[in-house]
Amino acid sequence: MKPAHLMPSYLVVDSSIVIFFDRKGKLEDFLRQKRKENYNVIIPKAIAKEVVDEPKWFAEKMRETDPESANKILDSAERINSAIQQGLIQVETVNYRKYSKVIDNVRKHLSKLEAKPEYALKKGDPELIALVIQLYDEAKEKVFVAALDKGLLKALKPFSDKVEYEVLKTL
Amino acid sequence: MAEKTVSILKALGNPNKAKIIAHLAKHKGETAEDVGKHLGYPLPTVYKYLRELEAARAVESEAKGNTRVYFAGDFKLEVSPEKLMEAFEAKTMTNLYIGRFGDKGMTRFNEVATKVKAGRMTFRQAAATLGITYYEFVSLLDEAGAFDA
Repeated sequence: MKPAHLMPSYLVVDSSIVIFFDRKGKLEDFLRQKRKENYNVIIPKAIAKEVVDEPKWFAEKMRETDPESANKILDSAERINSAIQQGLIQVETVNYRKYSKVIDNVRKHLSKLEAKPEYALKKGDPELIALVIQLYDEAKEKVFVAALDKGLLKALKPFSDKVEYEVLKTL
Repeated sequence: MAEKTVSILKALGNPNKAKIIAHLAKHKGETAEDVGKHLGYPLPTVYKYLRELEAARAVESEAKGNTRVYFAGDFKLEVSPEKLMEAFEAKTMTNLYIGRFGDKGMTRFNEVATKVKAGRMTFRQAAATLGITYYEFVSLLDEAGAFDA
């Protein structure tokens, strides 16, 4: 744990972490704990969409056939949205103009994985990696990352010469 | 887990599939060919059943050289009217997914989940490959126990 008198460090979290803790009913506890540990939990816009707007859309789609499940998913999206509104999760915009090359390189790397090349176009992965680099460029301090997605963390590795980062092993 | 109960019950509803599980409990680590020979089933049928049983997590497999060997899954079912009600009424993401995509969809999910666990595909790519949302994919992984420590 870092000394509390220091400036907060950026902790970029992937959607996997947010959804995982929410499903366990522990999202707010996790976020408050990270705040106590002096982290500023942050996500890019694409991820905010993924954890709030997408589940809402999915829940609305299934409302007629399965209202019970639809409500559960909507509740989850609302809880995540509330964490954002309370400032427990900060949403940051990626500077696409400045980091277009990084984003292109992430996409190239992702297209080499086993999924079809067009699936590299999903915004979340490149935005998360670009945000880690952007935050490092701004603060020139180590950025922390939390994700359950090994493939995503592998995609971040080639950029280790551009950014000092550390993946949180224990959450 | 409710979704596992449902899929195993479904597998056990077919006596030929149930026989495969019973056979593998006694003859651990047989190939599909061995199973076919011992039980007298045509090989394509054995492959189909093994695929479905694996998707239901009633059977497990591992690579051995150039071939694949099979084992009975580690499961225990307690069946009572209450347990059945619980199993069928639990609207887990897995039940919803099976409802939409069937057993074939579950087999596909397991294939993709294996790639994801090895870091050969990101969660987003996996979700796009399966044609589901990221939220559904993470929920499915969670229900499959992928994040259990």
